[in-house]
Amino acid sequence: MSKGDKILDVQNIKMDFHSKGVTVHAVGDVSFSVGEGETMGIVGESGCGKTTLGRCIVRAYEPTAGAVMYKSSEGDLIDFLKIDKKTMKAYRKEIQMIFQDPYSSLDPRMTVLDIIKEPLLANFPKMPKEEMERKVMDIAAKVGLNTTYLKRYPHAFSGGQRQRIGIARALVLNPRVIVCDECVSALDVSIQAQVINLLHELQKEFNLTFLFISHDLSVVEYISDRVGVMYLGKMVEFAPTKKLFSHPMHPYTESLLSAVPVADPTKQMERIPLQGEIPNPANPPKGCYFHTRCRYCTEKCSQEAPEYKKMEPEHFVACHRAEELKLKGFDYDD
Amino acid sequence: MEQDVKKTEQGSNETIIEVKDLRINIKVDEGILTTVRGVNFDIKKGETLGLVGESGCGKSLTSKAILGINDKKCKASGEIIFDADGLGRVNLLDLNPRGKEIRSVRGKQISMIFQEPMVAFSPMYTIGAQINEATLLHITKDKKKAREISLDVMKKVGIANAEKRYDQYPHEFSGGMLQRALIAMALVCNPKLLIADEPTTALDVTIQAQILEIMKELQKDFGMSILFITHDLGVVAGMCDRVAVMYLGRIVEIATAEELYANPQHPYTQGLLGSVHKIGTKNQDKLFSIEGTVPVAMNLPVGCGFYDRCTKRVDGVCNVYDPELTDAGNGHRVACFACTGCPNAKKGGKADE
Repeated sequence: MSKGDKILDVQNIKMDFHSKGVTVHAVGDVSFSVGEGETMGIVGESGCGKTTLGRCIVRAYEPTAGAVMYKSSEGDLIDFLKIDKKTMKAYRKEIQMIFQDPYSSLDPRMTVLDIIKEPLLANFPKMPKEEMERKVMDIAAKVGLNTTYLKRYPHAFSGGQRQRIGIARALVLNPRVIVCDECVSALDVSIQAQVINLLHELQKEFNLTFLFISHDLSVVEYISDRVGVMYLGKMVEFAPTKKLFSHPMHPYTESLLSAVPVADPTKQMERIPLQGEIPNPANPPKGCYFHTRCRYCTEKCSQEAPEYKKMEPEHFVACHRAEELKLKGFDYDD
Repeated sequence: MEQDVKKTEQGSNETIIEVKDLRINIKVDEGILTTVRGVNFDIKKGETLGLVGESGCGKSLTSKAILGINDKKCKASGEIIFDADGLGRVNLLDLNPRGKEIRSVRGKQISMIFQEPMVAFSPMYTIGAQINEATLLHITKDKKKAREISLDVMKKVGIANAEKRYDQYPHEFSGGMLQRALIAMALVCNPKLLIADEPTTALDVTIQAQILEIMKELQKDFGMSILFITHDLGVVAGMCDRVAVMYLGRIVEIATAEELYANPQHPYTQGLLGSVHKIGTKNQDKLFSIEGTVPVAMNLPVGCGFYDRCTKRVDGVCNVYDPELTDAGNGHRVACFACTGCPNAKKGGKADE
């Protein structure tokens, strides 16, 4: 159901961090693919590895294992994780990232113009200065920044404006894929809506592919075509958005959905409380990682890790009891 | 005092706290910030009032003014009438913020839960010692007894293994557990009023759901009132009896939760509700968004604070007169000329429609 051709194929990504003799499996064996022009959402609690996954894909981290097959604009298929630094530079232009915190992700000592220009300087050092500035102006106007203020420093801008600067910086190289890591979480709701609308428009205009990482389920539901749910470094469920939200097949997804606050006092959902907390990823439980908190847990779950498999077309689940359980999701109007 | 009791609505009885025309100004280098500009509300016994608004609207300053813990630079005026044990009905703003009287209220009769549990605890002391602090100050001097009381409350907020947890340090707690400990600390003296300032904003949805459930249960047990401050309209819907929406230092709309969500009147409230996507509804092509940003609360122009961003503004009225909270039926009060029709401007101004 991906919109266009497969642009990104993430295969068995694994990321381990070592610290003081302890190995933390931040991301364990995650695979999925993203089509061109598609928005793929990734949700999960803090510490589930969603940010690490995003960073592995742009190769900000060097994953322990796995491959990120990327179909470049010229049409050749490359493994983004295997290419050497020089080649990578050429492709990195095409995969950009927008960060969570609009305050710490902008250098306070650079003017906004310089911030947006920096990627151009790094990638096209020979580009004439006028052209560079023209490009910056164009993109700044596109994301809704007032171009007369570009000589100012980030501190003079509000949170929403700063996030627009971050978006402009990511867009100035005409990327094809953008990894948005919690890019609206730090914003107020009314500003959040503005930024989401902006992302939507830009996506349509430039045929962008988004990997949208967030813990906010209603934002993800709004913006994504397909959604993956992560728990303790693993993908536990993956499906087209509406399917996932109306008919979840993994118990974790079910309780995650039930915990979403609904802005209507008459339509409060029955909460399915999760017992306890997310286990320590350095010492994950045996069997299914979720069995310690799962209310459908059986003997088998505590012994054997479930396989991540296709249950229905486009619907992947890692749960022993996915077939028999009838889980509750949101009711859709139509 | 009798009048006040009579005034209250059916269902709930006495008013716990009454905030009247609260104004807070902050002196900064550039001038004076008028952050809170005449806020009025009251909270009844056992009631939860939600105070909703975006960052910078003055909701936290309002709550901190109740406890007198705002920065020295903040000058508050108006009245905060609280029926304090041992003091009778007092205006909390009259009390010396470092004095004995307010300290008998603070932490005992009114306590507060803060947004960032990681910051609210000192990393140098055990959780138990920090919960005890309030008990030892207000209830008993006996350390053994204090420990018992603390352990009891820790169990009530759902901290498993309370005996072991008692002697642990904050870094050994997860965010959700720490927020529970913070709630325990706030409840240990059995307060009349609990101020919860964005208590779940820093938490994951699943943990947030747990904490909200606990707060609801504890409210029943302790019979306290809650002032629940948040920017999340979803959380408010499940938690609060009444909701007040704040914008630029003013309450622009106040109503019961059911009424507010079913029938939002103020364009700002409508905008806020519209900009949150509801799961299960059809995807509109665009999320509704309020244009522009919140103005800086300095040298504010006359008229309605929302004028610049409003879709329903009436030129010549909204930018001339200041709307006040006006009854819109059903106990619903709203400060908007476009909603209530008649511009009852502040000082007898008569504007033609």
